[in-house]
Amino acid sequence: MKKNDNISEGVQLTPEQIDILKEIGNIGSGHAITALSELLNNEIDVSLTTAEIIPFWNVVELFDDPSIEVFGICSEIHLNSDLSIVQIFTKESIINLINLLNRENDLSIGNIRTSNDLDELSLSIITEIGNILSGHYANALADLLSIKIVPNVPTVALDTLSAMFNELIAKHAQISDYLVLIKTKLAVKEIKVNCIICFIPSLSILNNLFNILKIKYDMNL
Amino acid sequence: MVNDIEPIDQIKGKKGDVNLYVPIGHYALSTNTNYPVNHSLNFSIYGLGSCIALVLFDDKNRVSAMSHILLPKVNIDKKILYPHKYANLSVKLLLDELIYHGALRENIKAIIVGGSKIFDFDNNIMGIDNITSVKEELKKLKIQIIKEDTGGSVGRNVIFDTKCFSLYVRLTSDPDFTRIY
Repeated sequence: MKKNDNISEGVQLTPEQIDILKEIGNIGSGHAITALSELLNNEIDVSLTTAEIIPFWNVVELFDDPSIEVFGICSEIHLNSDLSIVQIFTKESIINLINLLNRENDLSIGNIRTSNDLDELSLSIITEIGNILSGHYANALADLLSIKIVPNVPTVALDTLSAMFNELIAKHAQISDYLVLIKTKLAVKEIKVNCIICFIPSLSILNNLFNILKIKYDMNL
Repeated sequence: MVNDIEPIDQIKGKKGDVNLYVPIGHYALSTNTNYPVNHSLNFSIYGLGSCIALVLFDDKNRVSAMSHILLPKVNIDKKILYPHKYANLSVKLLLDELIYHGALRENIKAIIVGGSKIFDFDNNIMGIDNITSVKEELKKLKIQIIKEDTGGSVGRNVIFDTKCFSLYVRLTSDPDFTRIY
């Protein structure tokens, strides 16, 4: 715990470090999106990746409307410490995806109120999409950092974004009042799918990351 | 802890505000002095997942407070800027704050809401840990829990009416708020 003593409330990043995190997010999401576009056989629009350092109570403010219900697909990755990859899909997007990938099915948005309302096949389709996205994201990170990263099978939830983020924030906010959130927005216009891929590294992962990239990083500036 | 130093984690409304949103790790307070008795003021938390909304109040002396708890316990040894993030600190601080503002200890009652498990990981016990920790702390301080709506796998929205001392909850999957106290 000695090392964590000086992390305290003040994690700060220089603009250069933010740029590096953005680039890491770009590489990760780039790989994930290529894989998804092959699966869907559709072109995917990607907006620029943002990397932000934000106080724990303000995290959900980074999203347009944290109070609407969305699907969240969460992969946990255990390294020497935790990092999380979460994909946020609008309800409509998930239903469009399922209907596209399983043509026998015709889900409608009104029938789905909790994730338990999804049949097993639909749920496994969502989980698989999550697997593909987080797997490729993690692989890209692993290549970049020459480390081994294996995400576990993702878990799907349907709830408001702010409720969903409670657990993620809790996981990272025990030692710090600030979190780093790297997110990339993507859209598949043709089938009306919108998604945000979020990558939340823990502070020790950040430390490792900057170490490996040989970037001077002072936790408490 | 309660003194004249302005706490950074207290949410204060402007005059005439009817709704105070309490972010994670913060708290809100309503007393006879900062609001006229006939003024309605609600404390609210939207999108409560594994977090806990803790309400303590003394309806006889008309003092109430709500905190938005994120974690069960502090496990680090350093200066803490947002104590209401932690269940074991928030309960005590909220109680002190109420007593400082004229509540009588024996009148103070508690309501707890939240602690659900949104992502179904095997090792995800954050919500349950939060509930347990808040309850332990309340028991230690001999504060009676008069109502709770905790656990489950769905997020909640909470509104506490400081005028009538009533509490409303709406599950994410529900269309409307229900009065639970």
